[in-house]
Amino acid sequence: MQRAGEVIEASTTDFMAQCYELYQSPPFGSLVKTRDLPVELYGVVYNATTTGLEPGRRPIARGKDEASEEDIYRSSPQLLKLLRTEFSVLVVGYRENEKLYHYLPPNPARIHGFVYLCSPEEVREFSQSFDFLNILINTHLTVSTEEIVAACLRQMSQVYEDGHAFLVAAGKELAILLSGEFNRLKAILGRIKT
Amino acid sequence: MSLDLTKVAAKVGGMVAKLKAGGAERQERLNYALDVLHNRSIDLDHLKKKIEDSKGKTTWLVAGLVDGLDRHYKAPSTPTEFTILATDGSHIDVDRHKSTRCYLINIGSVILHYGAQSGAALDSFPCLYFGDEDLVIAPAGVGGREQLIEGVLLGIKRNVEECHQLANLAGELSQNSLTLALLDGSLILWGLEAYPEFITEALLTQGFLHYLDDIRKLNNGKRLALASYISFPRSTDVVNVLRVAICPHDPPDCDRYCSPGEKRDCDTVAGVRDRELFVNLLGQGERSDVFISQSSIVRKHYGVHQVCFFYLRVDNEIARVEIPRWVATNVSLLNLVHSLVLDQCQRGQGYPVALSEAHEQAVVTGADRENFWQLVESSLVEEHLSSLTSAKSQSKRTRWI
Repeated sequence: MQRAGEVIEASTTDFMAQCYELYQSPPFGSLVKTRDLPVELYGVVYNATTTGLEPGRRPIARGKDEASEEDIYRSSPQLLKLLRTEFSVLVVGYRENEKLYHYLPPNPARIHGFVYLCSPEEVREFSQSFDFLNILINTHLTVSTEEIVAACLRQMSQVYEDGHAFLVAAGKELAILLSGEFNRLKAILGRIKT
Repeated sequence: MSLDLTKVAAKVGGMVAKLKAGGAERQERLNYALDVLHNRSIDLDHLKKKIEDSKGKTTWLVAGLVDGLDRHYKAPSTPTEFTILATDGSHIDVDRHKSTRCYLINIGSVILHYGAQSGAALDSFPCLYFGDEDLVIAPAGVGGREQLIEGVLLGIKRNVEECHQLANLAGELSQNSLTLALLDGSLILWGLEAYPEFITEALLTQGFLHYLDDIRKLNNGKRLALASYISFPRSTDVVNVLRVAICPHDPPDCDRYCSPGEKRDCDTVAGVRDRELFVNLLGQGERSDVFISQSSIVRKHYGVHQVCFFYLRVDNEIARVEIPRWVATNVSLLNLVHSLVLDQCQRGQGYPVALSEAHEQAVVTGADRENFWQLVESSLVEEHLSSLTSAKSQSKRTRWI
C-alpha cells in the first residue's frame, strides 16, 4: 500500500493531509483512504497546495542568476525543508466490518492518521456503486464540483479494462442525478469524454 | 492605557533635529579618521608597541594589530563542495511570579551541504532546566555567594549551549568536506566581567572554551573553521587604534595626562565607529586586516581561542566576523571563513542564510511563552501541586477597571 501522507486537519466532511515528500501529492481526483480502526475512511483528492512551512514566511523568487530550476534547490538546499505540500480530501464513504458505505462516516479522520493511495482492486470495489457521486455533486468547494467529479471518474476509469464502459455507466448515473441541471451535466460529460 | 505616541512624537522630532545638526561634525571626524588610517607615515611597528605599552591605561578598548591597518583583501574563490553548520538559541527566563522556578533554552541547529550532494538538516533542541544544579552556580569552596541563573547569566548560558550544540554537530559530521561552523553574535562573553571568577570558570573555561576546543581538535581529520558573525557592529576597536596613533603621549595614559571633561587630542575621532571607517575602505566582498581583541576577559582566559576579528563588506553593510586565533593564523582556514561567510550572505539576502534558518528554528514567540507557562501550570494542577502565581501576574492577565 502506497503511503501518500498524514492527516493534519480533519472534519466530518473532509480532511487535509501533509505529504512526506515535497510535490508528491496524489493526483487530483484520486481515491485515498485513512484508518480509524475498525473504520476505514475513503475520500477523493480535491485540492493540493505547496506553500511555506510557516504562515509568515513566503517564498521569494530566487532564480534570476540560476541556469535551471534544479540549481535553485541546489544553491539553497534548505528550501526542501521549508516548504510543504498538502492535499485536501473530500470524504465519500467508509468501510466497517468488511462492508462498504457510500455516505459519510460516523466520525472524522484521526489527526496523524496515515493516508494511503487506494489499490486498483479497492478502487474497483468502491466504484461498484455510484452512490458516492451524490456527495461529490452536492459539495461546495473552491474547486468546481464538475472538475472534481470528472477528475474522479477519469481516475477510476483507469483501473477498468474497459474504462469507456465505466464512464458511460457513470454518465448515465449523472444524467439521473443532474436531471434538472443540463449545463452542469454537460460540463462533466465534456470532461470525461474518451 | 497603551503608549501615548502623540506625547512621544515631539521628543522624536527633537532627537532627529539633534542628529541632523551633528551630521557635519560627524562627517568631519570620519574624514579625519580616514586620513589618519591612510597615513603612510605611521610606523606600524611603533604603533604596535605604543598599543602594547598603553594596555590597561586607556579608557577605551584598543584592537591589537596583526599586520596592517588599512589593507583590504578580495574574497578567495568559493569551493564547490562545502558544509555550513550554524546554531542559534532563544530562551524563556525564570519568572519569579510563577510558582515553579525553571527556565527553557531552545537551540536551533542547521546543517547545509552545498555541491553535488546538496542537502539540509534543520532541527531544534528545547531543554528544560529545573534542578538545583541548573538553577544556580555555586562557588567550589566555602565563601562566595551562589548566583542564580537568570537574566544576563541565562543569556550567557544560552551562548554556551549554542556552542555546545555546534560542537556536537561538528563532531557528528562524517563527511570530509570543507566546513564552516557559524555562531551568531560575539565570541567574547562580555557579560561575565560583572560576575565573580567561579562563574567565569563554570561557564567560560569549562563551558564555552571547552566546546571551542572540541571544535578545534576536529581539525586533525578535516578542515573545519569557526567564526561568529555580528551584523551592523557598534565596536570602535580600530578607531581606538587611531586614537592611540593620534595621542601625543607615549605611552598613552588617559588617567595621567587627560583629566575628565578636558578636551583631548584623540576626541577628533570620537563618535566614529569601525563600520563607518570600513564602509569607505572596503569594496564589495572584501575583508579588512585581521585585528586582535584586547578585552581583559579574552586576555585572561581565552588562550589559543584568543578572539581575532576582521570586517567584511556585504553590499552596503559592514559585518564584524570574529574568529579564534587558531583560525586567524591558519591562512587556509582564514580564507575559508572569508569566502564562505560572504557566500552565505549572498545566498541569504545580506545575512548568512544558515544563521537566519538557525534563528527560525530557535525562536520562541510571545505565544510560545504563554503556551509554555500554561502547560507547566496545567501539569501542576493535574498532579494536585500548588500552582500559585503572584497577584501581580494575575492582575496583568485579567485586566479590569
